[in-house]
Amino acid sequence: MPPHQHHRMSTVRERASVSYLLALPATLWMIGGLIVPILFIVWVSFWTTREFALDNPLSLTHYIKLFDKPVYLKLVGHTVLQTMVLMGITLVLGYCMAYFIVGKVQRDGRKYLLIFLLIIPFWTSALIRTIAWIPFLGVNGVINQSLIFLGLIDEPIGIFLYSRTGITLAQVSFYTLMATGPVVYVMRNIPPSVLQAAQCLKASPFHVFWRITVPLTLPGILIGQLLVFLNVMADFATAAAIGGNKFAYLGNLVLLLYDSGQLPFASVIAVVMMVCMLAGVAMMLKVVDIRRLGAL
Amino acid sequence: MTTTPEQNQYDLELKGITKHFGSFMAVGNLSLSVERGQFVCLLGPSGCGKTTTLRIIAGLEEPEKGEVWIDGRRVDDDPPWVRDFAMMFQDFALFPHMTIRKQVAFGLEMLKRPKEEIRRRVDETLATFEIGALADRKPDTLSGGQQQRVALARALITQPRLLLLDEPIGSLDFSLREAVMLELKDVQRRLGISFIWVTHDQNEAFSLGDLVVVMNHARIEQVGPPEAIAERPRTRFVAEFIQGNNVFEGTVESVENGNARIGTPSGSFDVPVEDAPLLAPGAVVTFSVRADILSTRPQAEHVNRLEATCNAVEYLGAIRRYDLQLEDGRSLKYEQFRSAAARIKEGERVSIGWRVEDGVLHASPSAPSDEHRA
Repeated sequence: MPPHQHHRMSTVRERASVSYLLALPATLWMIGGLIVPILFIVWVSFWTTREFALDNPLSLTHYIKLFDKPVYLKLVGHTVLQTMVLMGITLVLGYCMAYFIVGKVQRDGRKYLLIFLLIIPFWTSALIRTIAWIPFLGVNGVINQSLIFLGLIDEPIGIFLYSRTGITLAQVSFYTLMATGPVVYVMRNIPPSVLQAAQCLKASPFHVFWRITVPLTLPGILIGQLLVFLNVMADFATAAAIGGNKFAYLGNLVLLLYDSGQLPFASVIAVVMMVCMLAGVAMMLKVVDIRRLGAL
Repeated sequence: MTTTPEQNQYDLELKGITKHFGSFMAVGNLSLSVERGQFVCLLGPSGCGKTTTLRIIAGLEEPEKGEVWIDGRRVDDDPPWVRDFAMMFQDFALFPHMTIRKQVAFGLEMLKRPKEEIRRRVDETLATFEIGALADRKPDTLSGGQQQRVALARALITQPRLLLLDEPIGSLDFSLREAVMLELKDVQRRLGISFIWVTHDQNEAFSLGDLVVVMNHARIEQVGPPEAIAERPRTRFVAEFIQGNNVFEGTVESVENGNARIGTPSGSFDVPVEDAPLLAPGAVVTFSVRADILSTRPQAEHVNRLEATCNAVEYLGAIRRYDLQLEDGRSLKYEQFRSAAARIKEGERVSIGWRVEDGVLHASPSAPSDEHRA
């Protein structure tokens, strides 16, 4: 599209003062509901006492505590590692699903049915979905019973519930769709003729996939991975419900500190998570230009 | 050129190709042979099967029946990436994420040519198609004409025997088309390879094709050089699809001396029977007469006569086209060169005549088409 053509979305003239008014409610909402609380958290993270006071002396005490104690750094490491594992699994699973839905399912009706089936679990709340995993994972749960029925094991094994495996299983089921959705969207926008042109230029299916499909769906892959990254980093409910009290990630630590009234240190952890997430977003944006996603 | 017995005479042969989409027949028992270095235009309305035929040649569609031979090799079990051809798509199908240099190199990279050779041939090709200045740009920054050149360069760099083109200038600005057509024709002559060019535009087909294949409803209606298609339309469909024909429908009254007398609502006319010796009185037939072959000053040889009134005049560049109304209310087209002195005014009454041999009797619609050898 030549640069001088702009889509006209409304009859409001660009730069007319009324168009700023339209943005006002959302702006106020964002400032009051997001920006101010975040600044507040940052401020609290520098507090030295637990009580609220405007003239609270500020210091780096709690930041130093975080980096001083290996147990906290280990928790940061576990959280990042768990996020990486989830990103890896959902990348492969999600991409395969997207490729199947877009590339192999011929009829549009079936495509929509499959996407619909993927979305159904998200009609219930995250908490219920998490709790629903417990009967599956327990010692007498569905997985153990099935394995016994199939004769693969003789007696129930305890590796599913209250384990990292269980947490990972549940999280994969929650977050794979986030990796799939953006890839489906981007892949659907690839004109079939582009793939056929590659075939006509003597590219085998393997080369068509690596040289054409993957590069063209890269924006979708990255957006999906970003969503998984942000959600797994922040996920504490899954670890709490399925990990019992044996496993914790940064999110659980925030909750724990908050419950015990250690607001400044809870804020420090929140700030550290936020910095990790923003760094992740910044890295993704370096590679893919979100504004150009629709223009493929 | 010496011809050895093993050397194949055809760049492309299609034998009895049939393809359905559901219950819709896209291509029905189609056979076509293309000799070396021919420019072939598949011409027909949308849905006639011309693009499906092209995609079957490419291997992008699988026919249920029939054989595809490219350069003397049977390929209908081969996937597209094994067949020896190149293809240009209507939307050019450039790779959005690759620079022009990368696109053009793609075919050679897939053929696993040495890096040095790829670099040299890409440079040559970019120069030949005058797109060297675009080498480092992405397709979305190019104009339609530039994209078209890139698509052509990308297709031809692998030096195929056959180039398939699906409405290759359909998405270009009108003003560009003439120049691009001439250039493509020039490229085809220079390389000596065969072009199979799909179009619904008869002007494209007639000005480019050594051979024009007119298709309708999944079948070939007529194959021949442009002059033959224009002057001797084999079927009623061809006569009506190719502009500039007057089509009459009537009943055979008698057959004498190789001519049939055909009674139509507008009168009775003599038409040579030629290829239809078994024509019997009572048969319903159609025939056509070219609008530019009619005479407004009939002589003795113009035995077929009509009276008409001029309805309207159209100026089409080099020719003037008249819409004449016959006494039975039907209309008749008459064309003359702009330079012709005998102009007709609107409302004027004219006598129209044509010679027996100017009429072309059509094969009946149900008659099976002969095998098309080009």
